Amino acid sequence: MPNRIITWVDKRFPLTSFVKQELTGYPTPRNLSYLWNFGFLAGFVLVLQVVTGIFLAMHYKADVALSFDSIQHIMRDVNYGWLLRYMHATGASAFFFVIFVHMARTLYYGSYRAPRELLWWTGQGLLLLLMATAFMGYLLPWGQMSFWGATVITNLFRATPFFGDQVVIWLRGDFTVGDATLTRFFSLHYLFPFIIIGAVVIHLVALHSVKSSNPSGLDLAAKDNIPFHPYFTIKDLYGLGLFLIVYSIFVFFIPDSLIEPANNIPANPMQTPNHIVPEWYFLPFYAILRSVPNLVGGVVAMGLSVMMFAFMPLLDHSRIPGGANYRPIYRIQFVLFMLDMLLLGYVGYTPPTSTTIIIGQVATLCYFGSFFLIPFLSRVEEKWLVRRGLPPAVMALMESEALAIEQSKLKHRRHGDLL
Amino acid sequence: MNGLYKCTSMTLRQTIFMLLIVAMSCVSRGARASEAPLQIIHVTTDAASVERGADTLMANCHSCHSMKYIKYRDMVKFGMDKQKVDAWRGDQSLDTPLLAQMSENDAVQSFGKAPPDLSLMVKARDGGVSYVYSYLLAYHNSPDGMLQNPVYPETKMPDALGISSATDDTQRAEIKGKARDIVTFLAWVADPHEAERKRLGYYVLVYLAVLTVLLYYVKNQVWAKLK
Repeated sequence: MPNRIITWVDKRFPLTSFVKQELTGYPTPRNLSYLWNFGFLAGFVLVLQVVTGIFLAMHYKADVALSFDSIQHIMRDVNYGWLLRYMHATGASAFFFVIFVHMARTLYYGSYRAPRELLWWTGQGLLLLLMATAFMGYLLPWGQMSFWGATVITNLFRATPFFGDQVVIWLRGDFTVGDATLTRFFSLHYLFPFIIIGAVVIHLVALHSVKSSNPSGLDLAAKDNIPFHPYFTIKDLYGLGLFLIVYSIFVFFIPDSLIEPANNIPANPMQTPNHIVPEWYFLPFYAILRSVPNLVGGVVAMGLSVMMFAFMPLLDHSRIPGGANYRPIYRIQFVLFMLDMLLLGYVGYTPPTSTTIIIGQVATLCYFGSFFLIPFLSRVEEKWLVRRGLPPAVMALMESEALAIEQSKLKHRRHGDLL
Repeated sequence: MNGLYKCTSMTLRQTIFMLLIVAMSCVSRGARASEAPLQIIHVTTDAASVERGADTLMANCHSCHSMKYIKYRDMVKFGMDKQKVDAWRGDQSLDTPLLAQMSENDAVQSFGKAPPDLSLMVKARDGGVSYVYSYLLAYHNSPDGMLQNPVYPETKMPDALGISSATDDTQRAEIKGKARDIVTFLAWVADPHEAERKRLGYYVLVYLAVLTVLLYYVKNQVWAKLK
């Protein structure tokens, strides 16, 4: 009977072939390290956030007079409401952690290289959506940090040329962050995850068209690509187990470590907290914002700092595959960039003093500098490495890629002649 | 496996960059309004200490401070003596929140500022229980006879526990005990499910640990089939 149903469906819908081609039989490089688990983990956390979020929305009230109390109602009176809320709050941090590792892996191994540029750019779009969703979600508890964080960030839109003030009012729905802001942020915070799910589908379509990169940076022979199931389903599940252990330690034992104490005080527009800090995942970008003394400059720098990753396929001129794997200079650059991010995070966290402002400005210069140096350094490094000698497989790939580019150029020229 | 896959053995480098990212998510949380050092304490969630804290708090703080997210029924449910709770609530219903006995107006008249609700006090301050504990014990008289509190210099609250006028050691020790009881109770008020959460957490972790070990072996078994 089940077989007959599947046959019936298959005649009308490509069920079996889809599952076989895209899920169970999807060819995956066998040499993927555990760093390739984080895409799956991001998908898992997305589902976790949507599910806990839907249940939280059943008890939450988006109203300036009620929202703070409704969170306490969830924490105290709703059955396992504390679990839902802590899972959701910790889940936001977990989401960014997983995404940052996922992105760092892409940068380290040069996975953004041709032909995976669109895969990387859809990922960049996902990062922006995630940031917007997290930012709007942070207003909902209506604590002091929620209110002042939203006030500071919406205020940045004053930098819009010509009608900055109107844009700020349009975003807030009022002259200040208030009830209108809270209700629209709640509405959009519920909507955006579904847009994210759509964008994830596009991300996956791009992935399945170009296939996973792998640590060697080379295209593996057919025998070194193995079916996704059972090899990577079990590997992803094992990785999920490890992830859930760390996640559960946060949820059950130190859930408040990720919540600013000031957010346990109801929002008070008459009283500014001593020190307004964003969530940890925004700290480096916040530090860049503060490092530029001028509002417009700061906003542009912050926006660029998030968007810089998208330029990587254009900035990296090296023809050597595998990213830092075969490129010692790029590897050093990568480590320094990570340290710079940490430094910026620290600067974003501490109240500004004359020293931290200077440190922040230097770190901001290093941040952008490391991107702008890549076109130059990648070329110099490539020449040096080719002279020094690279593994034959790498040289072969570089030659075949160069040949393919030549041929496509030739083809275009011929087309031109005919016309 | 040949040289092509040598990169899979780069675990050290990978570990370093994972650690960098972990470190970034754990930036220390500091910044307080005043920089007076705190006395770091840890409080228990055990029922007897919490109940003793409730006694001390109801006698010393509740006349001015509310704890509006806690109802009298929550205290009974927690297992506190029903008769004691009945005495505290007087003729109010069990489902009344713990509002202050003094009206806000009277409080503003007396102190110049409405006393804050204490429901989330230990969560709302950097330092948590240590902050509240240190604050309660930080009162002292300056040489010119002014009552001071270095932990929160702008405070309008009087020295409710009397630490500033206590001179002999037994009396001071007794007051310190009271302060500890109060914050133990406040910790329960701020997070009444903490004990339950941690108990459940141990089961979850044990379950996940067993599951993950099993998954690891299944994974190895599956991958062993590959040539």
